[in-house]
This record gives sequence, C-alpha cells and structure tokens, in this order.
Amino acid sequence: MSEPAAASRAPARDAGGAGTGLLLLAPALLMVTALFLYPLGYSLTGAFRGVDGAWTLANFTKSFELYSRDIGFTVAIIGLSTLLIAFFSIAIGGYLTLGENRTAVVILRWLYRWPLFIPFIVAGQLMRAFLARNGMLNNTLMAMGVLDPADAPSLLDWRGIVIAFVWKQTPFVALLVAGAMATLDRSTIEAARNLGAGRLRILIEIVVPQVRQTLVVGLVLSFVTMMSVLSVPLMINAQSPTMITVDMAFRINAYGDYGVANALGFLSCALTGAVAWIYLRHGIRERGRQ
Amino acid sequence: MAGGPASVEFRAVVKRYGAVTAVDGVSFTIEPGTLATLLGPSGCGKTTTLRLIAGLELATEGQILIGGRDVTRRAAAERDVSMVFQSYALFPHMTVLENAAYGPIVDGTPRKEAHAMARAKLELVGLSGFEARMPSELSGGQQQRVAVARALVLEPQVLLFDEPLSNLDAKLRRRVREDIRELQRRLNLTVVYVTHDQQEALAVSDRVIVMSNARIAQAGSPRDLYERPANRFVADFIGDANVVAAELIEVSGDRAKVVLGGIALELERRGARPGPVTVAIRPEALLLSADRPAAPAAPGRIGKAAYLGTHMEYTVTSALGELFVIDRMPSRAFAAGAEVWISLPGTGVAIVPE
Ligand SMILES: Nc1ncnc2c1ncn2[C@@H]1O[C@H](COP(=O)(O)OP(=O)(O)OP(=O)(O)O)[C@@H](O)[C@H]1O
Ligand SMILES: [Mg+2]
Repeated sequence: MSEPAAASRAPARDAGGAGTGLLLLAPALLMVTALFLYPLGYSLTGAFRGVDGAWTLANFTKSFELYSRDIGFTVAIIGLSTLLIAFFSIAIGGYLTLGENRTAVVILRWLYRWPLFIPFIVAGQLMRAFLARNGMLNNTLMAMGVLDPADAPSLLDWRGIVIAFVWKQTPFVALLVAGAMATLDRSTIEAARNLGAGRLRILIEIVVPQVRQTLVVGLVLSFVTMMSVLSVPLMINAQSPTMITVDMAFRINAYGDYGVANALGFLSCALTGAVAWIYLRHGIRERGRQ
Repeated sequence: MAGGPASVEFRAVVKRYGAVTAVDGVSFTIEPGTLATLLGPSGCGKTTTLRLIAGLELATEGQILIGGRDVTRRAAAERDVSMVFQSYALFPHMTVLENAAYGPIVDGTPRKEAHAMARAKLELVGLSGFEARMPSELSGGQQQRVAVARALVLEPQVLLFDEPLSNLDAKLRRRVREDIRELQRRLNLTVVYVTHDQQEALAVSDRVIVMSNARIAQAGSPRDLYERPANRFVADFIGDANVVAAELIEVSGDRAKVVLGGIALELERRGARPGPVTVAIRPEALLLSADRPAAPAAPGRIGKAAYLGTHMEYTVTSALGELFVIDRMPSRAFAAGAEVWISLPGTGVAIVPE
C-alpha cells in the first residue's frame, strides 16, 4: 500500500526541484535581464522613437540619408574580410594537418596564434605604422628597389581596415578550424591519397567539408566581432567612407543623437542576425541530411 | 592503367620511426593473382608493411617492387594499389556513389562515366540501390563493402586489406572473408591481407607471411605453416601447439628417430642433429585412452576438462610435460583426475628447427 504514496511523492519532489532550480538561476537571470536584455531592448526600441518619444521611422530615414554609403562600405569590408579569413584559416589549418615538413608545421603552429593576444586597438596602431605612406611596408619595398618613392601609396583606407581585421581574426578562426581538422579520422585523408588525390584536392574535397560546421561558426563569430569593432576603423581610416561603428560613436559624441545611433545599431544587429540565421538554417539542413 | 594483377616484392625493406624499427629487413615475393596474408601479433609491423606497399609510408632502406617495377620512392598516388582501411575510411560527407566514384573522378574521368564505373562495382559487392545513402546510414558490413567497391573501381594491380573484418561480428566475419576470397579469385586480383587471426589467415590465403617483432618468422602455404612450423613462435601462433623437449637418437636421410616421454617416433628430420631437439605437437594429434593401447603410449592424468560441444579440451600432466589435448569425441569424456594413456599416431607432430 505504500507504493501509490511513493509514486505521488515523486512528482511533488520534482516540482520542488524545479522550483529550487529556478530560484538558483534567478540571480543570473536577473543579471542577464538587467544588464543585457533591458538595455538592448531599450536601444532597439530607441531606434524607433523620435526625440519627443513618439514612434517614428525618422531615425532610419536619416541614417540612410547620411550613411547609406557607410553601411554598404561596412558590409563590403566585413564581407571581404570574412572571405579572406576563411581562405587563410583554411590554408593554415590545412598546412597544419597535411603539411609534410615537420619543422615548418611546428613553427607555424607556434607562430599563427600571436595576433590573438593583441587587442584590436594595438592591432590598429601596428597597422598604421606598417601601412602608412612612410610606413614600414613601403620603406622596405623602397629599400629593396621594388617601389618608386614617388608613387608610394598609403594603404590606410579600406585596405588597411581589411588587413587589420584579417590579421587579427584569422588566428581565431584558424584555431577552431585546425582543432576540428586535428580530430578528423586521418584514414579518410589517407584513403583519398591512396585513390590518387593530391594535397590541395584532399584539403578542398575531403578535409574542409568535414570541418565546415566549425568553419562557419568561427566565421559567424568573427563577423559579429568585426561588426562591433570601433578602434580599427577609427585608427586607420575615420574619413568618409568609414564603418558604421565610427558613425555611431560620432552621432553620440558630437550630437548626442541617440536616435540615429540606435538606428545604426539596429541595422548592425539585423546584419549579424541575418548571418546567424543563414548559419542556423545551414546547420539544420546539414543535420537533416545526416 | 589496369594492367592485370601484379606481383609485390620486398627486398630487405626497413622502416624506422625515430628509434622504433617497425619493419626490419623484410623480404618476400607475392605472386600475381594470389592472396597473401600478413599474420602476426599486435605491433609486429603488419600495418606498416601494408602501408609501405601502398606508399603511405616510404621505406627507410631496401627496395619495393610492384609488377617488377621499382616503386620504392614513389608516392601513394603514383602506385596502382588500392587499400581497404580497417575503419573503412569512407568519406562521411559523400554518398555511397560519390565515395565509390572518387578514384576515377580524381583520375579525371568524366563524372558520368565515373558514376557508371562506381555503380558496376557497387553491384559487384551487392550494394545496388544504396547509391544515394550516406555512409552513416549503412551497417558495418555494408560500409565495408562500400570500401571494397571504392578500392576496386580503379581495377588496381594490387588490393590491400587492413584487418577488414575486425569491426564485424563473428558470423558476418566468416561470410565476408569468403566473399573477399571469392572476389579475389573471380577478378584474379593480387591481394595482401592483414590479420592477427590465424584461423582467418589459414582459411583465405594462398600464402601466409607470419611476422614477429618486425621480422618475418616464416612464409609459406597454410599447410606448410601448420604442419612444418619453422620455429617455436610459428608453432605456437598458428593453431595451438604443445612445444616439448625430445631426444633425436638416429638420423637416416631426411628422416629422424625421436623419443619423447618414452615414445619413439619417426619424423621428418628438417636439418636437426642428434641430441636434444624441440618438437611441436598439435593438440588434436594426441590420443587419449583409458586402457593401455597396443601402440607406444605414456601415462598421464587429466588436469582440467572442458566440454565445447564439438569436442573436449583437456590439460594432461604427463612425462612429456603439461599437454593441451583436443578430443573430437565428446561422448567419451574423461573426468578431471582420471588416469589416461597418451599415444601419438604420428601426424600433427613435427621437429621445430629453431
Ligand atoms: N607513425 C608511427 N610512429 C612511431 N611508431 C610507429 C608508427 N606507426 C607504427 N609504429 C610502431 O611500429 C610498430 C609496428 O606497428 P604496426 O602498426 O605495423 O603494427 P601491427 O602489426 O599492424 O599491429 P596491430 O595488429 O596492433 O595493428 C609498433 O611498435 C608501433 O608502435
Ligand atoms: Mg595494424
């Protein structure tokens, strides 16, 4: 006769467990709400409010009027950087996985992570010193006689930003990708070799498809990071066209114009959201296939 | 590029990994169109030998010839050799058809033609209708057959298998090994097959190369290895053997008279000299009887007795030492502790030269 009693007690204890669990989570939940969700919601809705507090799309109209060029510029720069980061991180991961020269592999493994430990602002500064008209790159080229001093270019424009981003973000993606490649079943690589495939072919057809998930995650995270970096475009090229992070800072610091800044913020959220959405869909399709 | 089956020859091949010598001065020849197994305990260098044939490793010393051509310095892609990996190594992101067609596609064969070739081989291994599946949607046995089809598509001169059955259950193992043998005969392939299972090796091979500690312990037909083991290691590794001490008392031509435990036997001499020798006795060569038989016999006492359905297994203590005996007549079982007579009809007994 004691069994029904025991059975009825079990759900009660479970409910109590859930209650305690929620209670334990409450502080964390509160912190997330107070420090993240509330300000986020506030600034997102702020994008749709005028100075008088009424709902309006004026901030967006103004953003597009003033900054459509910069929005396009931002998307182009980050898109190009993402592609280059994908290319270089595959190349680095690929060499670490398939490289036959042990010494070169060990040196590369040690070397490629360094930029990870350098803050964006310092990276921007390094690039300034490296890419300016009288910077290290041009000086070296001139010393080697490759470059005529008269037409030494300054790379401190969109190219500088792309170079800084790629230099700073490639190690991060390469770290993830190389890790995934290292856990691959190596016999698939050997089977491909056995069937006559060369190393480049193995990288593209056998290795990369098996780490695609990780690569895409790395690129999405890197995309989001680049969307939010202010220091690099500020240091390298703050003239027009520039990136929307610079415009946002300018709206706030120069005009106290939170409306337009919020609208630009909303747009960058929408952009990263779109990228994340593409990634999620991709992931679901992938799982559906398996 | 398909030039029919080719021979495989090793000439004093050495492979070192730093301080480890994985293959140490190995020489052998595998005739075209035959199935040879590399057999030996774990770590003896079987996989390394196979990888040397495939070109997945390069020899440190020595020469490797395939079809009479020196390929010692050639890369894997340049050798007309296909391998079926122990883990099958199917490409998880490609369908069965794409897996099987990968070889010809890498070769530059147009996609349509490559797919046709792949379909033909998939049919050969009995996997028609599975073309669109992903490897993860196949059973272990089916995956193995995809791996075989993929390796066969290029009609290689030599086909290599690294422990192809180790991921299959016991029943399937027997069937698949027969399938492989059948395929090898039908397509007239040169096959090199790695296993650590001596039964599997005896069952499928034309020739067995037994390896021990990076060297060849003995190479020969299954019958040779079983009936005329060259050394203690082979005697013990191929089937069970009771290795006992005996005395060679008389030589006449290639025959020798040997006494063990008071029983005199005439055996093949195999280069032995008068004096103490080692003799290997197969467990089923020992006859047990309750009463003293007419033939020369030695007394013994049953230690352990186990009933295994088709036969009995005993350990018997006797003047020959502790013996392991298999008796094919389980109806006549001896109990532990019983006194028995042991006799040796003469087959399944051999002098071990080393
Ligand atoms: N890449 C390597 N680096 C260093 N040592 C290796 C390497 N590959 C194999 N060895 C060593 O060489 C020896 C032979 O290895 P191998 O893989 O050929 O053995 P095996 O006979 O196939 O054994 P198993 O039956 O366990 O597969 C072992 O001692 C192994 O540790
Ligand atoms: Mg092995």
